[in-house]
Amino acid sequence: MRIFKKLHRAFKLHRIFIKQDLKRLMEYKIDFMTGAVGLLLAQGVNIFFISIIFSQIPALDGWTFEQILFIYGFALLPKAIDHLFTDNLWSVAYFIIRKGDFDKYLTRPVSTLFAVTVEKFQVDAFGELFVGILLLGISVPSVSLNVSVLNVFLFIISMLFATLIYTGIKLITASISFWTKKSGHITYMFYMVNEFSKYPTTIYNKVVGAIVTYIIPFAFTAFFPASYFVAGGNPWYNIGGTVIAGTVLMIAGILVWNKGVNAYESAGS
Amino acid sequence: MRRIFKIYKPFTHAGVMLAAQYRVNFIFFILGDVLMCFINYFLWKAVFSSGGAQTFMGFSETDMVSYIFISFLTSTLAYSDGSYAVGEEIKDGSIAMRMIKPIRFDLAFLFQELGERTMSISIVFLPLMVGVEIFRFVVTGAVQFNIFRFLLYLLSLVLAYLINFYVNVCYGYSAFVLKNLWGSNLLKNIIIGFLSGATIPLAFLPPVLSAVLNFLPFASLTYTPVMIYIGMYGPVQILTSFGLQIVWLIFFIFLQQVIWNACVKRLSVQGG
Repeated sequence: MRIFKKLHRAFKLHRIFIKQDLKRLMEYKIDFMTGAVGLLLAQGVNIFFISIIFSQIPALDGWTFEQILFIYGFALLPKAIDHLFTDNLWSVAYFIIRKGDFDKYLTRPVSTLFAVTVEKFQVDAFGELFVGILLLGISVPSVSLNVSVLNVFLFIISMLFATLIYTGIKLITASISFWTKKSGHITYMFYMVNEFSKYPTTIYNKVVGAIVTYIIPFAFTAFFPASYFVAGGNPWYNIGGTVIAGTVLMIAGILVWNKGVNAYESAGS
Repeated sequence: MRRIFKIYKPFTHAGVMLAAQYRVNFIFFILGDVLMCFINYFLWKAVFSSGGAQTFMGFSETDMVSYIFISFLTSTLAYSDGSYAVGEEIKDGSIAMRMIKPIRFDLAFLFQELGERTMSISIVFLPLMVGVEIFRFVVTGAVQFNIFRFLLYLLSLVLAYLINFYVNVCYGYSAFVLKNLWGSNLLKNIIIGFLSGATIPLAFLPPVLSAVLNFLPFASLTYTPVMIYIGMYGPVQILTSFGLQIVWLIFFIFLQQVIWNACVKRLSVQGG
């Protein structure tokens, strides 16, 4: 029962913080809207690019246009969910620790990780979420998709753990700044690897394929689970891999974070 | 000319110092961006092996790979964050300090940015260029590097940078009206990225659209230098595109002056 009480409190706090953050956003309404249009347009340009390629070839390495769209859309969803809730980790990596602003989280009666992430509700992510759902909607009728209770369950599971892969990688790399004061550039470099997940891992060579599968496992955020839904395959590997990678990275992230908090030294002055 | 260099040299020096401070950051960011090039590289390899044809809308596989890396190189080198710098100074009011000095606002920024550029030139230029040339040598079995074409590329690149700089300064002035530039900057970068051919070669677009875009200033920013480098342009086309680049450069220098004169009158510094 206590765990429910705790969860209830966390959700309540989250709601309050979201409200607070939306107020901040309203200050620069037009600027925010233009930015949102920009992000949508960026995805539009990418889709246009893919459709140009498919105007000349029937299939890419055996994958049809609709299958590629499905994988692409699938890739956007966990990215967006992570973006929505844990965007403040970027600020930790870039300046919160360097400026000594981390002090305030230490004084709060909730865990530091919760206090940091709850502070920012990144509405930009709705653009990715929207495009992701749109692409899945467009591609689903044309790919042979087996809609069953089990598959819906597996879809939700893979979304959840794919999100944890993103969060875990951000958490580990952002925590480095507890020791080095600043690690935004490291987070950026690792985070960019997620772009590899938009296309089938089969198009990469062996070395790159192994890196995005086993070392920085972004392939499990999109290609492996998505290809199970559109092309079949072994769910124990395709989705089990996502679950394992998400769990391992998230646990590692929390461990590194906690070690980092202990090592944190505030800025002078 | 000598006098100008003497006056503005300290700004260049400051730019170099600024860039040196962020050297490690810069390398990581570039590595992250180079990853994108490799994604495109593998994507195009798959396209060519799936299509079975030798060319894709007039581009061979070697052309396409060169295009990916050289367009990345070009847009990195011709990159200007003038709009951000100008916007920030307008927002926090420090632009007032520049206005009381007997120097030209645009030139001070230009020389500072040239200093900052030295970093990206020294880190990015050689590795990418050599990489592309080795690749072209291995694939075609002959040296593709042509010193004459390379010099033309450099000239076109310098023009591209200058146009980009002035476009960005003009754009930065919109902070006089908008105050906050995050969103509109993002939108601008995406639109320019697409229209300048940094994302997709303009030749892949529908013919009418591609013809229009070739004439607009955007093509001068990335597409023209890249096409010259990979040898897709003949002598006539090279001359016309140089002409266009120069016309657009003069246009934006002029426009910048007009906007500046108009904006100075309505500058309001927030806070103090």
